[in-house]
Amino acid sequence: MTNFIDYLLGGFSSGAVIALMAIALVLVWRSTRMVNFAQVGQAMFTTYIALTIQQQTGNWLLALVVAIAAGVVLGVIVFFLVIRPVKNSDSTGAIIATFGVLIALQAGAGMIWGGDPEGFVPPVDNSGLEIGGRIWPFSLYDILVLVVTAALVIGLTLLFTKTALGLSMRASAFNPEVARLSGVRVNRMLITGWAIAGGVGAVGGILIAPVSTISPTSFDILLVFAFTAAVIGGLDSLVGAVTFGIGTGLIISLISGYSDSSNAPVVALILLALNLLLKPDGVFSHHGSRSV
Amino acid sequence: MLETIELSVSYGAVQALKGMNLTVPRGEVTAVIGANGAGKSTLMRTIAGLVKPQSGQVLFDDVDITGKKPEDIVRMGMALVPEGRSTIPELSVDENLRLGGLWRNKQERGEARDQVFALFPILGERKGMRADTLSGGERQQLAIGRALMSNPRCLLLDEPSLGLAPMIVTQILELVSNLAKESNIAVLLVEQNAVTALRVATTGVVLNLGEVVKSGPAAEISSDEELRHAYLGY
Repeated sequence: MTNFIDYLLGGFSSGAVIALMAIALVLVWRSTRMVNFAQVGQAMFTTYIALTIQQQTGNWLLALVVAIAAGVVLGVIVFFLVIRPVKNSDSTGAIIATFGVLIALQAGAGMIWGGDPEGFVPPVDNSGLEIGGRIWPFSLYDILVLVVTAALVIGLTLLFTKTALGLSMRASAFNPEVARLSGVRVNRMLITGWAIAGGVGAVGGILIAPVSTISPTSFDILLVFAFTAAVIGGLDSLVGAVTFGIGTGLIISLISGYSDSSNAPVVALILLALNLLLKPDGVFSHHGSRSV
Repeated sequence: MLETIELSVSYGAVQALKGMNLTVPRGEVTAVIGANGAGKSTLMRTIAGLVKPQSGQVLFDDVDITGKKPEDIVRMGMALVPEGRSTIPELSVDENLRLGGLWRNKQERGEARDQVFALFPILGERKGMRADTLSGGERQQLAIGRALMSNPRCLLLDEPSLGLAPMIVTQILELVSNLAKESNIAVLLVEQNAVTALRVATTGVVLNLGEVVKSGPAAEISSDEELRHAYLGY
């Protein structure tokens, strides 16, 4: 039982990061009805930028802010350079193109920062807290990760439900034609979706970096988990992405604890397959059908 | 005032509109009637900027708006209520309304919203509910309400009677016709349901296969038996 609680506790912060990456995938899906497989590549790239800043200045907050800004810019660049020209032909082409971007980003990062895994120093202590005479697998850093994630999720929820921009973005996602006829500049909303997704992904990257390590391909596995969480959540639901992101984190932690961490991706893919067989629209989807 | 001059639209080899000339004055309803496939929806979508015409012009208060984007056209004061109760089901009633005038300032939006609630009290009662919980007639009111949020000088109504009970259609159209008079709005109404449309309209235009076959006072059109048999099917 003690093991179970330990494993569970250990899964929360990685679950939060998976949730963030899943949110990024959902935001892009809601904008342009496609999955951006370059999302983790963009996050990897911005995390390298953050790493460089932290190594130079030692200032984590500065690194975070610059990473978010870079993520936003990168999101817009990817939209314009790759997605937009392909988008008009068909969406399968655009999805393949995002794989191209992923590979290009990984190659680029390798050329700039080298291929060896590097450590990322956490801004607060990452060793287990000692409460009641025992050390728990839960650190101050885990708390920071959860707080930042919660703040971001609350912020996004308020943005989407309380602001004119959020309403315009939702309307553009649900029905672009009606949105345009209502005076919404839909194209700008799509770009904004990609931009916010890039920023959210950047936060996810910088949060996971101290726990894993960073290399050009170290976030690839995150894509598997985030994609699973996003799809099970219904691909267009923030609530779904958060719920199943954290859920995936917990499951991975339990599997890694009781068996071996290399089993986790397999289990994630089995869950994904089961979901697509049993409830293909996802659990929290607004829509009746979709194609992945 | 809305005018189309020699407006032609084609989808590939199919010519949907052939040199259409139309004038829609302010303060009254102009009804364009005709069978399915006559080009009615194409006309509306072209005026609203969703479809690019092959040739010809659309003038709105003497400004050429041909080929402008729909989001710019609505901001200029021309609002389209597209066919099929174009509300967004996932949004609340109030959100659907707000969407119609987001670019306007807060005070203007508030006033427009009060006017819409005065016109359609049911929308005020249901404002917190999701749009897909409304009945068909209520959703049509919501779609018109959203268009009114943009404070239009010209309102385009595409087949508002579709799928609604005749009594509700009459109510809604009479309301629209009063609105046209009171707020001095130019209303272009496109309908398959000719009888009801001509009852509220001042001018009637009969469209067949992309061409105007007859236009004149609505009463004249509705009493022209030959026309009715040939193009309107009743």
